[in-house]
Amino acid sequence: MSVSMFLLLAVVGMAFDLGRVYIARNEAQIFADAASMAAAKQLDGTAAGLERARAAVTALPDRWNLGTEEFKGVVVEFSADGTQWDTQPKNLATLRYARVTAPDNPVEIMFLRAVGGPQSFTVPARAVSSTNPVRLTE
Amino acid sequence: MRLERGHGTREKGHAMLELAISAGVMVSCLVGTFQFGYTFYTYNQLVTAVGNGARYAAQRTYRSGSEDVERGNAAIRNMVVYGDAQPAPEAAPVVPKLTPAEVEVRWDLGGDGTPLNVNVAIKGYTTDAIFRSFTFDGRPSVQFPYVGKYAAGELER
Repeated sequence: MSVSMFLLLAVVGMAFDLGRVYIARNEAQIFADAASMAAAKQLDGTAAGLERARAAVTALPDRWNLGTEEFKGVVVEFSADGTQWDTQPKNLATLRYARVTAPDNPVEIMFLRAVGGPQSFTVPARAVSSTNPVRLTE
Repeated sequence: MRLERGHGTREKGHAMLELAISAGVMVSCLVGTFQFGYTFYTYNQLVTAVGNGARYAAQRTYRSGSEDVERGNAAIRNMVVYGDAQPAPEAAPVVPKLTPAEVEVRWDLGGDGTPLNVNVAIKGYTTDAIFRSFTFDGRPSVQFPYVGKYAAGELER
């Protein structure tokens, strides 16, 4: 009986918890894509453009966890060449890329934890967009 | 001997009762698992479809003439439903029974009519998980900044 309950919880957990994890991962990636495009759109080589880029990411209404939760701890970085990234860049005129990382999206595990699974599973997402024209590059 | 036979019959009865109870619990769990599993699978497909449609909408040319806007919105709905802006007549939806009418496209416009953002959402789509159906209204929903070319006025035909 206990063996079959263990297996049953594992199967329920696979369907329920992993289903939610996959959805959250998808939602986070779509948010990162939209946020990096929103940031790249605002870059114009000025400090005001940089502020607008950060504000555009914050203002994005996209949610995760079945569309119920806001993204927290979102990191916005900028780069001139797509290799060196900085949250507070100095040489604003050369900026050509915006990168957004949504690192903190922990999906609470409900069934799999009863059979030895983790308490939560984090699904980070990252996207990079270029300016002129604004396009997703990663 | 009579006593032993009676004891065995009682054990069989217990086993039958245990089987009936545990089978009921297990079948309920499996039905629930199927329902949630299938519904999550469908929702995940909707998230992907809405994301693809919004990415497409954000980059396509926006013409401000009302006919052009409606034609563009139809192309965006087709992208969400069929994964193709101009689907073949016999094209199958990427999510079972999803129709273009169940996709909402909304534009945020600036003061001069320039598109700023595009919002794509699912409205009133019902998924049938056999034992129960679930309706998604307003979810999933995504917003993308508009980064395509803007052209004021009607397209000449």
